[in-house]
Amino acid sequence: MHVPDGFLPLPVIVGGYATTGALTWLSLRQIDRLPNPQAAIPRASLLTAAFFVASWIHIPVPPASVHLVLNGLLGTILGYFAMPAILIGLFFQAIMFNHGGLSTLGVNAAMMGIPALLAYRIFQLRRLFPKAYERVGLGVAAFASGAFGLGLSAAIFVGLLVTTIPTSLDASTERAAILTLTIAHVPVMAIEGAFTAALVLFLQRVRPQLLEQS
Amino acid sequence: MRFRWFSFLSVTCLAIALVPSRAIAHGSSVQYRTTQAIAIRAAFDSGEPMAEAQVTVFAPDNPTEPWLQGQTTANGEFSFIPDPARAGAWDVQVRQAGHGAIVTIPEEAIAAFSSSDGDPSAIAATLSSSSPSLSPAQIALTAAAGVWGCIGTACFFARKES
Repeated sequence: MHVPDGFLPLPVIVGGYATTGALTWLSLRQIDRLPNPQAAIPRASLLTAAFFVASWIHIPVPPASVHLVLNGLLGTILGYFAMPAILIGLFFQAIMFNHGGLSTLGVNAAMMGIPALLAYRIFQLRRLFPKAYERVGLGVAAFASGAFGLGLSAAIFVGLLVTTIPTSLDASTERAAILTLTIAHVPVMAIEGAFTAALVLFLQRVRPQLLEQS
Repeated sequence: MRFRWFSFLSVTCLAIALVPSRAIAHGSSVQYRTTQAIAIRAAFDSGEPMAEAQVTVFAPDNPTEPWLQGQTTANGEFSFIPDPARAGAWDVQVRQAGHGAIVTIPEEAIAAFSSSDGDPSAIAATLSSSSPSLSPAQIALTAAAGVWGCIGTACFFARKES
């Protein structure tokens, strides 16, 4: 779900960088306001590593092949740290694996970062569950935020591509290919949601402080 | 990308008026000549071929207007014969559902291609949506280095304050 170089018009690329710049600035400002901003860096670094390699885990969904993104998971656990983590992860994916591109780094980071920040908000809905159902609520909220993060990213991806199909291409063929890819992301939403829920429930059992924003 | 001998069939349809005043019959003649073409193979980074992806070829003298449009086969392959009159680098874009890549075929490749004493097999490039020239082992090592960088950062900030 990474847009490579040369596929998007210039205004979209500039807009992507502007959005990513604003979001990163906002996130870093929020992080700076924490009592101890450095405390969450180890957790953010480890999840950046997970995000960095997750795009190599391919899931064959016939006829397409899709990969994990984990942006919902990053948002759920990291909160505002997710934005710099995604930006760094995407930068290394672009320069090391040619996955995505440097010109589209802004677009890709916004596409995955906005859903990640919203996923964190969704995860906070866990507090609405009564105390007796705390673990159930935690699992449900984590599943929802993990699935939502990927789902919204896929929706933004499709929206960007469908509106910028170059006139030189056969638009109906390209649209059909985009639709196939979108449908292939539905099972990935379930996988990422389940993975997020499993990880959050595991962390709550072994290191519950990791789930609290310091 | 490989250069290879490629049989080019030119199909010429000739409308021959047998009975000029009454009916028109259609005869056809098929001619062939051998020439050299540029063959590309496009694959996703999972190794799966990009089947039926849209290919756009841009000529050196006009990098904005498509010179040729086409589609890859089920094996992700596509061939075209560049116009020798247009000197310079050719750009080939393969795209499917917003994924794909652009590869530039350098002028030297085309020059070697048109001169008979050149060794076209010496010039090779890969058009792939990822990792243009790295082997799987190199990619794994690069990924491991990146992951280790993150773990090192984590360890540094997780150290006990003295």
